[in-house]
Amino acid sequence: MSETGALLTVTDLHRQFGGVHAVNGASFHVPPGRITGLIGPNGAGKSTALNVIAGALKPTAGKISYRDQDITGLPSYKVARRGIIRTFQISSEFAKLTVLENLLVAAPGQRGEALWQAALGKRYWRPQERAMVQRARQLLARFDMSAKEDEYAGNLSGGQKRLLELMRGLMADPALLLLDEPMAGVNPSLARRIERHLLDLSGAGLTMLMIEHELAVVERLCDPVIVMAQGRVISQGTMAEVRADREVLDAYLIG
Amino acid sequence: MSVAWQFYISTVLVYLGVDVIACWGLNLQFGVAGLINFAFIIFQAAGAYTAAVLTLGPAIPAAKGGFQQYVGGAHWPFPLPILAAGVVGGLLALLVGSFGIRRLRSDYEAMVMLVVSLIATSVVTNQVGLVNGPNGLALVPKPLASIVSLSPIGYQWLFVGITAGVCVCVYWLVHIVTSSPLGRTLRAVRDNEHAAAALGKNVTGLRMIAFVLGGVIAGISGAILVEFISAWSPGSWLYPETFVYFTAVIVGGLGNNLGVMVGALLVPVVFLEATRFIPQFGPPGFIDALQWIVVGVLALVFLWFWPRGVIPERRRRFPPAAEGEEAQPLMPAKAGR
Repeated sequence: MSETGALLTVTDLHRQFGGVHAVNGASFHVPPGRITGLIGPNGAGKSTALNVIAGALKPTAGKISYRDQDITGLPSYKVARRGIIRTFQISSEFAKLTVLENLLVAAPGQRGEALWQAALGKRYWRPQERAMVQRARQLLARFDMSAKEDEYAGNLSGGQKRLLELMRGLMADPALLLLDEPMAGVNPSLARRIERHLLDLSGAGLTMLMIEHELAVVERLCDPVIVMAQGRVISQGTMAEVRADREVLDAYLIG
Repeated sequence: MSVAWQFYISTVLVYLGVDVIACWGLNLQFGVAGLINFAFIIFQAAGAYTAAVLTLGPAIPAAKGGFQQYVGGAHWPFPLPILAAGVVGGLLALLVGSFGIRRLRSDYEAMVMLVVSLIATSVVTNQVGLVNGPNGLALVPKPLASIVSLSPIGYQWLFVGITAGVCVCVYWLVHIVTSSPLGRTLRAVRDNEHAAAALGKNVTGLRMIAFVLGGVIAGISGAILVEFISAWSPGSWLYPETFVYFTAVIVGGLGNNLGVMVGALLVPVVFLEATRFIPQFGPPGFIDALQWIVVGVLALVFLWFWPRGVIPERRRRFPPAAEGEEAQPLMPAKAGR
């Protein structure tokens, strides 16, 4: 851990698309064991920042360090292997795989995923796979999705796909979970269920960084809260603190 | 059964075996990993040329009466030329894959592959010293023919046996890939490469595995074919041939090795052989042209009405937990990673 005790530290991050500065010198850190909220008006650069952290986009400039190691510019699969797992704003299920298979794909350190291991035959990888199947079933039970185990993920409803997105992220055994609007487009009762799940996970010690538009949700879940506008961090602190910030009000009103 | 019929049936069986092997290779690339390899036929061709050259022996210069020129001739005993064909198919896939399947959206990837196929035909046709240009290679000795003393029809059936043996080996290879966690991860990459990368999967590496294995298998299929028909020229591997295999894989069932086998039986064998039995009518060459129309219409009909094919991809179900089987504890956060 760094002196600040942060799990993830973003320093002076820039990302340009042509002439557009989507992220323009953002700096913030994510403390362990909490849900950090990332809010801001549309076009503030939140999703871009998340994509850069996750390795889906290369930063134009700046530094990202995780557990005091520089992970700036690593490709996304290497970022993921270090325990930073992201979910997508638009459901990203493996449509022609079943729900259970979607979860199995996410399990880290799978035997039989390398060609030489596959050639060793079922006896080599089957025992571990069975353990993974049981683990996936625990997750399904916890999220009330056991009945959908053998359903093709592409056939799920929008809300169920959001749950799958979250379960798949958890199956990957993350140390830091990056959530891009995990409740986007779901009905209010399911949104409340997702909220409770996130609180439970946080209670169990999982660190999360969450982009969310619904300020009431942010207020209930997130501490600290980071406010971005026009590619910069304009405020951070508890929700009560950022609410009192004049600049935040301006950004949301003028946005 | 008359000898003529035996010849016909054994020939069709060898063609079927070659097509089944090729379709398994293409299915691994397209059906399982989602790679749109419109250059598939050049990997079969590379295998065929390799096997031919390694069986023919050193080229005889034209001044000494040699009628075909090529590089790297050798007299390798069976089955080495077939294995070498697989290696060359794989190496060519590694080369083409290094620029064709990295960082490209699938529609661009398909375009690159089509262009590679056209370039390859053009190079082989014009570089006459490479593998004898447009005339191609001929009089490739048949494997084992000088060792075994069989009647022509007996040899036909021996070759059917060799083809069947190679089919079993290739099936084993594709089966261990598609039935393992590797196959599942490849299908995940096919469905959503960004999500797969976000879960720690090296997408480029995984696609390369499927691409190279498909190249190896295509090369082997070409080797069997050339050892059987004893000749190979650019006319045997024009880019439309790739679409026959694509149609076969789509008709049979993408992602299902058994379905693909049925597709290889239906499209390149049943439908294309059937046109032989249609009495000649219309202008000369009409029936041959009809073959291409049949393939195109089949592909369209299946994509519209039956996109998952005759035998669709299997839904994988997992048996319930055995008694006393303990699940791994669920830990959302690993504190000390």
